[in-house]
Amino acid sequence: MLKKILFYCAAVALLILLVLHFISLPRTLDASLIPQHKADLQNGENLFWAGGCASCHAQKEARAKARLMLGGGVELETPFGVFIAPNISPDRQAGIGSWNTAEFINAMVNGVSPDSTHYFPAFPYPNYRSMPYTDLIDLKAFLDTLPPISSATADHRLHFPFNIRAAVGLWKLLYLNTGTFSARPGVEASVERGRYLVNGPGHCAACHTPRDLFGGEIKNRLLAGARSLDSASSTKAPKSNRIPNITPHAEDGIGKWSENDIAYALESGFDPDFDSFGGSMVEVQENMAHLPASDRLAIARYLKSIPALASTRD
Amino acid sequence: MKKLFSRTALILSLCAVSSVAVAEDFPFKKQIVARQAFMQVYAYNLGLLGAMAKGEADYDAKIATGAAGNLLAAAKMDNSTMWPKGSDAEAPGLDGKTRAKTETWSTYPKVTEKHQDLTDALIEMAAVAGNGLDAVKSNMGAVGKGCKGCHKSFRVPKDE
Ligand code: HEC
Ligand code: HEC
Ligand code: HEC
Repeated sequence: MLKKILFYCAAVALLILLVLHFISLPRTLDASLIPQHKADLQNGENLFWAGGCASCHAQKEARAKARLMLGGGVELETPFGVFIAPNISPDRQAGIGSWNTAEFINAMVNGVSPDSTHYFPAFPYPNYRSMPYTDLIDLKAFLDTLPPISSATADHRLHFPFNIRAAVGLWKLLYLNTGTFSARPGVEASVERGRYLVNGPGHCAACHTPRDLFGGEIKNRLLAGARSLDSASSTKAPKSNRIPNITPHAEDGIGKWSENDIAYALESGFDPDFDSFGGSMVEVQENMAHLPASDRLAIARYLKSIPALASTRD
Repeated sequence: MKKLFSRTALILSLCAVSSVAVAEDFPFKKQIVARQAFMQVYAYNLGLLGAMAKGEADYDAKIATGAAGNLLAAAKMDNSTMWPKGSDAEAPGLDGKTRAKTETWSTYPKVTEKHQDLTDALIEMAAVAGNGLDAVKSNMGAVGKGCKGCHKSFRVPKDE
């Protein structure tokens, strides 16, 4: 009898796994969904900086023009293993120069490669996916203008079971659920612009929002501070391994910063006490410094508008 | 009786205060307190220039020159004894007391290059800070790079 029940359970579990496997199979993008749109290179460049592509896809410590050489190679040390950012320069062999628009959009929105495998969410597509297709067309057009780099990058060095790409499909069923950004009616345009930049291309939540056991962002703790997943730039000391709360909470967050303080910090790297940013925030800030001032102010205004949350230890 | 009571309360509260002080003792406290205060001297003086650059204070040539001179003088100070080996955030008892990273020592002398970058930027700032708001503004970026360059590699993120 027990044997029968066990067998039954195993069969049901297998069936569920199979079904999940099939509904989580990577899909290609229906090209008819792509709008006719003449690419705006200036907007593409802004999105490139807002998205921080250079932080991962340019060489480590690259400065000035070298930030536009997207040959990859930056190693992201995480608890899951080491991810190596690939070459996304327009080189046709080593980079993504041969990709069409649908392939690029499918990577950025669905985390699926042209040969239909899942990308790991170390590539922040769970945040980028809210970008409208027209913005992604602009971004691709800008990337296409950058210098091709012909060197290939090494493979990721991940621990089992995190190296199984098919498993990412299951992860996506649970966590890949944000839709394309649309402005809330009746909310000021600049606050909405900030909401888009913070949650979409800017992927601030990727670092500042805590994650659950399986690495999904905990949505009701938006930007309330998190444990750092970046093993390289933090230490083994737990108190030194945090990313700060940037909600408007007066004590735990940045409630005491004015809109101008936030915008100025994103422009210059100085907080209101004239201490400077450090760690991984330096790259983020130096990318944000390329944006128009109105975009930095929009981010500031949105950050002042989100719920103030006290810090907890996740 | 009342007196005795208040005296006991006083002694007890003194004990409480001193036991807090004992609890707060940690390795390399002197050096860590000193170097953090030293950094605050940077932040204070930079704040004077920054308030002008940010538009929160009117430009004042005398204040600007003084602050830039202080920053350069501070950068030229020999503070090497404030950074004893083993006084990093991962050392026993120092998590939360210091934000200095192990790499300060394990990749030495890289940190001295970062310090030199800041000194170079401050030489420039000190030379021009008296020449008007635009001069201050256009040199803030380089000074900021000097501070960030070091905080990026050698300081752990702030605790919330
Ligand atoms: C936090 C680091 C990080 C940032 C920021 C980042 N990426 Fe990536 N990206 C990665 C990693 C890691 C991969 C590899 C994912 C994998 O192999 O599953 C990747 C993969 C890609 C790929 C697929 C490349 C290929 O050869 O298959 C594209 C395209 C891409 N990123 C574009 C971008 C763009 C555009 C931006 C900026 C808007 C960006 N990425 C920002 C880390 C990052
Ligand atoms: C790659 C990870 C990462 C991303 C992405 C990121 N941050 Fe940060 N942020 C940090 C770290 C680490 C710190 C702490 C820096 C320090 O203490 O030196 C920080 C600090 C800050 C602070 C200062 C908080 C304080 O209390 O001093 C603000 C404000 C901030 N980030 C805003 C943003 C915004 C806005 C975005 C999105 C545009 C963003 N961050 C994206 C890692 C990140
Ligand atoms: C040579 C490296 C280096 C340079 C250059 C540098 N810092 Fe620091 N700074 C550090 C380190 C390391 C700490 C952490 C010290 C500790 O906690 O023991 C720190 C801490 C600080 C603190 C926090 C002090 C406290 O009370 O805990 C402030 C404020 C600060 N720095 C401001 C600045 C400013 C402003 C500049 C540029 C003018 C600057 N620093 C340049 C390495 C540097």
